[in-house]
Amino acid sequence: MNTSLLFLGINIVVISILLSLYGFLAGDSGLVGIAASLGLAGGVIVAYSRVPQDPATASLLSYSRTLVNAVSSALEDLDLLESAICIAKRGAELLLVYSKAPCPAKVDPGLGFAGGSPYLAIPIELPSAGGGAEALSSSTAGEPLERVLRSLLVEEFALCRGVRVDVEGESYRVYITGLAEFLKDFTRYPVDPYTVLVLSTLAQATPAECVRVVQRSYVPEGLLLIARVERSCGVG
Amino acid sequence: MRSRVSLFILVYTLMNVLSTVALYLLKEQRVDVYVSLNILSYYVSYAVVRPSTLSSIVRVLNAALFALFIAIVAYRVYEVLAP
Repeated sequence: MNTSLLFLGINIVVISILLSLYGFLAGDSGLVGIAASLGLAGGVIVAYSRVPQDPATASLLSYSRTLVNAVSSALEDLDLLESAICIAKRGAELLLVYSKAPCPAKVDPGLGFAGGSPYLAIPIELPSAGGGAEALSSSTAGEPLERVLRSLLVEEFALCRGVRVDVEGESYRVYITGLAEFLKDFTRYPVDPYTVLVLSTLAQATPAECVRVVQRSYVPEGLLLIARVERSCGVG
Repeated sequence: MRSRVSLFILVYTLMNVLSTVALYLLKEQRVDVYVSLNILSYYVSYAVVRPSTLSSIVRVLNAALFALFIAIVAYRVYEVLAP
């Protein structure tokens, strides 16, 4: 919240009220019109004082870049830059897992070994949006999932302009179009917000234990993500 | 200008001041004309600057201003059709 704007808006509203009173008393409708216009402008400024400001976004981006660089360095050291990405459910907890193995079954947050290969597991907490991602059966999940993803990515976070979901059996093709300019850079890194949010939403919206990325391709108009949900994770 | 919201408020305020001063100099006495031009200034500056905020308060404000504008226009149309 921007307190300077808030005080400016409130002051403008107070002045408009005084001006309208004077206009009424003086019988000048023009002055009342000016006061009404001024009051509306004050209201708009008060409303916009409660909007997150761009400097906050800039600092958040810088912070995210630092974290993504750190995770990318860790993945590089573990030789996991070309690894498989999946979400593993551990009770109510979601873990984003980078591993050479398809999707290890027993993983703990942090670094570890499963099935003879190293993995990096990052705990994820999905933000609630659009009433949350309710559990859906895979046969009917396409439309509600699209609605949940649109609510989260387009309406809540404004990360993209559109989302479309096609369901083919256990596979979900998610098309994300109109990526936000300031987040396009992140798509070059192993940890990108679109993949993380789509996978975690899928994991929460379906009863599957494991959600695996089959294909992740970036095209000029957006991102195509093909994910497969599995009842149980692969390697123990 | 560091922030798009600041730029939006600057553009909106400038347009608002210009339209209000012009109307007052033209000796306009109808209050709704001032308000409707103010709302138009808001939407024009919003479309030009695109403060890119999808927060709920801005959505509510947009809807409320649109409803107010529609009400003013409807009242004027009603006045013409049924004087």
